[in-house]
Amino acid sequence: MSTETQTKTDGRTILLIGSGPIQIGQAAEFDYSGAQACRALQEEGARVVLVNSNPATIMTDPEMADRVYIEPITTEAIAEIIRKERPDGVIAGLGGQTGLNVTAELAEEGVLEEYDVDIMGTPLDTIYATEDRDLFRQRMEKIGQPVPRSTTISLEEGESVIELSEDDLKDRVEAAVDEVGGLPVIARTTYTLGGSGSGVVEEMDELLVRVRKGLRLSRNNEVLITESIAGWVELEYEVMRDADNSCIIICNMENIDPMGIHTGESTVVTPSQVIPDDGHQEMRTAALDVIRELGIQGGCNIQFAWHDDGTPGGEYRVVEVNPRVSRSSALASKATGYPIARVTAKVALGKRLHEIENEITGQTTAAFEPAIDYVVTKVPRWPKDKFEDVDFELGTAMKSTGEAMAIGRTFEESMLKALRSSEYDPSVDWADVSDDELETDYLETPTPDRPYAIFEAFERGYTVDDICALTGIYEWYVERFEKIADAAIAAAEGNFEEAAELGYTNQQVAAQAGADVGAVESVAPERTFKQVDTCAGEFAASTPYYYSARDALESGPSPIAHDEVQVDTDVESVVVVGGGPIRIGQGVEFDYCAVHAVHALREMGVDAHVVNNNPETVSTDYDTSDGLFFEPITAEEVADVVEATGADGVMVQFGGQTSVDIGKPLEDELERRGLACSVMGTSVEAMDLAEDRDRFNQLMDGLGIAQPEGGAAYSREEAFDLAHDLGYPVLVRPSYVLGGRAMRVVYDDDELETYIEEAVRVSPDKPILVDQFLEGAVELDVDAVSDGTDILIGGIMEHVESAGVHSGDSACMIPPRSLDADALARVREVTEDIATALETVGLLNVQLAVTGLDGGEVEVYVLEANPRSSRTVPFVSKATGVPIAKLAAKVMAGESLADLGVEEQIPDHTSIKEVVLPFDRLPGSDPRLGPEMKSTGEVMGTASTFGIAYWKAQQAASNDITGGTAVIDLDVDGFEEFFDIAEFDDVPAAIRKGEVDFVVSYDRDTLEMAVEEDIPYLSTEPSARAYLEGLQAYAGDGTGDADLEVAAVSDRPHRVAEWGR
Amino acid sequence: MNPAYVALESGHVLEGRGRAPGTARGELVFTTAYTGYEESLTDPSYEEQVLTFSYPLIGNYGVREERFESDRVHPRAVLARELTDDVAAWLESEDVPAIDHLDTRDIVTDVREGGAMKCGIAVGKHATPDDAVAELERCQAMSDHTEIGEQVSVAEHAVHGEDNDGETVALIDCGVKGSIIDSLVARNATVHVFPHDASAADVDAVDPDVLFVSNGPGDPKNYPQAASLVETFVEDTPVAGICLGQQIVARALGGTTEKMTFGHRGVNQPVLDVESGQVVMTTQNHGYTVADPGSHLEVSQINVNDDTPEGLDGIEHDVITRQYHPEANPGPEDTLGFFDDVLAMATQSRNSPRAIPADD
Repeated sequence: MSTETQTKTDGRTILLIGSGPIQIGQAAEFDYSGAQACRALQEEGARVVLVNSNPATIMTDPEMADRVYIEPITTEAIAEIIRKERPDGVIAGLGGQTGLNVTAELAEEGVLEEYDVDIMGTPLDTIYATEDRDLFRQRMEKIGQPVPRSTTISLEEGESVIELSEDDLKDRVEAAVDEVGGLPVIARTTYTLGGSGSGVVEEMDELLVRVRKGLRLSRNNEVLITESIAGWVELEYEVMRDADNSCIIICNMENIDPMGIHTGESTVVTPSQVIPDDGHQEMRTAALDVIRELGIQGGCNIQFAWHDDGTPGGEYRVVEVNPRVSRSSALASKATGYPIARVTAKVALGKRLHEIENEITGQTTAAFEPAIDYVVTKVPRWPKDKFEDVDFELGTAMKSTGEAMAIGRTFEESMLKALRSSEYDPSVDWADVSDDELETDYLETPTPDRPYAIFEAFERGYTVDDICALTGIYEWYVERFEKIADAAIAAAEGNFEEAAELGYTNQQVAAQAGADVGAVESVAPERTFKQVDTCAGEFAASTPYYYSARDALESGPSPIAHDEVQVDTDVESVVVVGGGPIRIGQGVEFDYCAVHAVHALREMGVDAHVVNNNPETVSTDYDTSDGLFFEPITAEEVADVVEATGADGVMVQFGGQTSVDIGKPLEDELERRGLACSVMGTSVEAMDLAEDRDRFNQLMDGLGIAQPEGGAAYSREEAFDLAHDLGYPVLVRPSYVLGGRAMRVVYDDDELETYIEEAVRVSPDKPILVDQFLEGAVELDVDAVSDGTDILIGGIMEHVESAGVHSGDSACMIPPRSLDADALARVREVTEDIATALETVGLLNVQLAVTGLDGGEVEVYVLEANPRSSRTVPFVSKATGVPIAKLAAKVMAGESLADLGVEEQIPDHTSIKEVVLPFDRLPGSDPRLGPEMKSTGEVMGTASTFGIAYWKAQQAASNDITGGTAVIDLDVDGFEEFFDIAEFDDVPAAIRKGEVDFVVSYDRDTLEMAVEEDIPYLSTEPSARAYLEGLQAYAGDGTGDADLEVAAVSDRPHRVAEWGR
Repeated sequence: MNPAYVALESGHVLEGRGRAPGTARGELVFTTAYTGYEESLTDPSYEEQVLTFSYPLIGNYGVREERFESDRVHPRAVLARELTDDVAAWLESEDVPAIDHLDTRDIVTDVREGGAMKCGIAVGKHATPDDAVAELERCQAMSDHTEIGEQVSVAEHAVHGEDNDGETVALIDCGVKGSIIDSLVARNATVHVFPHDASAADVDAVDPDVLFVSNGPGDPKNYPQAASLVETFVEDTPVAGICLGQQIVARALGGTTEKMTFGHRGVNQPVLDVESGQVVMTTQNHGYTVADPGSHLEVSQINVNDDTPEGLDGIEHDVITRQYHPEANPGPEDTLGFFDDVLAMATQSRNSPRAIPADD
């Protein structure tokens, strides 16, 4: 049996489906797992065909698979790929819910059967069994696994709530409560909108009222009574199973936040800390039984709730099974070193666990359970700073965009490193928060600020018991928060040792105490690097995956210390600084850039080491670099890595704002330590200059390059003066911000007043920038590489949206279509001049606005120049085939563009980048596009015409609709060709009733309702016109079967030509 | 906190934070389990050893007697990165010295590279590095503890599950973990626990359906009487063994054993069942292993990492043994079925006694 499956492996064609754009709930983890799976499948001799709509991923790089398709993840496009490539099998379990759903649809539509494509790994039936709650409950009951107990209270045929007597109701409710094990219970009314009427009920009287009301409101006269497991410890077990039924647990993960908060929103610790062995083993056994019962093959994840009921092992419930590789799998992989995606891919091909080598030790196989000798903590990262209207109380739905992971030898160390890595700073002035507010808004209510609120509470003298009661967090954890808080207080009083020992950086301790960092350094215990080896030191491991840990104060430097960093300090080496957690404005594209830098260096024979802390990414895969250092990105900690590796250079251009921000402090720190290591490429000074408005203005003036007029206002009065001088509308924003945070176009004095009062407080140290707003201009993005002498333009992109919409939120096209040769030539000239003036070595992104294209005099304005990687780098590379991030790393390491022999390419096809927006995940958010960036991810559509390419991008972004009833509020004609145009007095109400299928509007209420009801919408005129063009190209002839021009990336035509020449 | 020192055979003396005072010496070993510290610390197989936890945080969920495997702490001393106050207080009450704030990863690496080694421990207000070195100098090699069985075995015959009406198990206690007895009793067996040096007549008196040799500390060669019982009974009575028990059975039936470099201690040891091809995770705690099973036993299960024998079957006799701990506690419950197999073997033998012992 097993030999047969293995011989079949050779030469099989496998279709791997990716997960599409980065969204809340589905981030970079599937790029990591897909990229790892591609390698694993190719190792086994399979021919890999990959499809993903997200260009910002490593998995869509041409060398990752035999054939790469950047196409919409829809049955229409994938069926076409299947027809072209004739795969033997499809692996669906590595593309998140998106991959799973589309595979199920392909099966239902008969495509898989028609072309004889096997579903490899976990069968579809299993997937259905985990998604259907009733089916799942039945399967669990069959094998005797406890699920939360549940029963319904319903009315008999013909019975009415009003007639139901108090006693009769009470009897039924009491019986139901008994059945699920007593109060508290969760009462849930079935089939009401938005889950209204659900909640934990502690008291019988309250429950009676709830049930009566619920029976009245419920459409089917039912109230569901479920055992409440709120407050129990939430755990996840990551499981791997092969077709021979060998089954192992990779690790378990314990949520610090009690049951009731989505695990993606929880602070999570690996391994579990508060579960005794009996309880752990019971759940481990349950996990294996469940996964075997379901017949899952490969990696999967099972969730439990557990509490201490006084028995040796406590009590547990099976909550849910995720029959595929997930966000938790990525975390588990990075936390243990066990490559879950790689093993899953091989298991799908028919390999057995003990036949798969453990690459980390080289001595063991995949048939083992990792042992770890450290503590891992994951902290989510929320876009709280981006959405002032959104309530960030944490609950059962995800709102975070990304996460940071940290490793330490104690929980305190691990937690402090994770908080540092998350780069989150609560915008709370604790001095303004009363004790009452602290308790209700920050401790009882779980929010992104809660860890910081706990520290604050200890500072105010709260006890461990108080905080346990308020937060529901387990005592063991709260005690450790107290230790941290106490140490921070001691540090402020001059006793530095313990705060340093617990995991603060010397710099943090010094800042806390107002002391010199040298004073802290002289007493702080050393940080040394330790290896992540999957086996807690039991076997010698050679994989270069490290984390730092402080020595314990008492033990001092150990006489038997082992230097675990196995890098060659004699060869030329470079440290590449990554981008940390994914957030709006800094997404997976920067991981793409960092990984390309690593690849480029290794191609040159230079050792490349990575510092990063995002567990979802390819850059933190153990075999991406020569040395992976899982660390917070601070100058001090990056300098430690430089010191440990003896690196000659460090690259801060690739990790987005996170890495750019440490440029200057890192340079200072390297100098302070006397390390012979330089920040490579464009100088830190030039990067600073580009962000310093006044200096940059002067530079542009000198070059004769136009800029929107404007200036910095240091007071309210200055802001008004500037606005009046420039004339409304003006663009206002605080200086030094990421992704256009708090940027706005204001049209009159009132709006400016509101902005100053509500959004930002202007002060001498926090000026705001007021700029002329170029209405009607075409905006461009240009990505280029300079070696200091020559400049290579990667691509010129034209935005679909006009000025006023953040460049990161605008759809854009490559090549541009509104610019004539002269305008393009000027764009090139401006880009080259800026590159030269900033002495750029490496990447340069320039944002331009072009006016006068409708007949006037063409003028090219520069809006921004950033001598570093940009979010458009991967899109440009995918559209043109020129790997500009790699070229940048090579020129930074000393090569010249001339020697590299690369040429600019202009694609014959048009590629559209469209954004994906998170409003559906963030109730209350304003869905209108504006100067503040709000998108979480992107998709790409390519075709020979703008229309089809744009339409494919809409399909990929799930915003496509070809007919039905539409409300068109904006001044765009032509939709009547496809839609029944309707008018309503109350548009939101009509949407709510299901009477509207499509909306084009700038009305916030209308758009919010469109988001809530999940119907396609557009909020700007330019996007509406582009959409119409797409519709006409796709459905214009009425047949609705336009050619989508599905093609592998490598088959799309390009010509060697220089942009703007 | 008190000063605390660990003197290693390599000549180095480590400094840590004293959590329970006293002096001690023993063989330095490590376990990689991250839960189950109560079970490990009360496991008699750790007698005469100093136990290092590779997982840094020990004691997080308190100390509860119902999770103990025997009535006292067996390791001579305990080393960790961080012990909670609960577990430190317990060790102090048991007079077992304990040290934390050590870089246990360095210790593990030394043991991995240099093998299980002797060490000396000194913890207390006036403890000095020399005190630890003095302990080290008095430390004996594991195999030289010839009377170790005496330290961990019951003094007198005891019965568990007296009211059960299943099989009668004669369990030779070489340092048995409570969970082995519990696992048998839970399967309706009556378990007669005998001292490791019980006589054949004593054992015969209970008319056992199976002779079961337990786990225990040290070198299997130091349990000559247990081996002799196996030789005596194997012709007529099924024999089972766990851990040290497997080694004793192998030696009794013509096999050999040897000391391992640093042994297997943890809860994640992968074992491949040769016949089914299935891999299971097991709990292990042994420093010696069967080198050659001899001509009467065949290897039924092997360790995936180093191919050492994990299970033996009798070729012509009813014998099944395991090198790992099917009773778990701590560790995975994947192999609890072993106890069903043992009792099934006993039942079968009782119902159809072996008529003609097979010839070699």
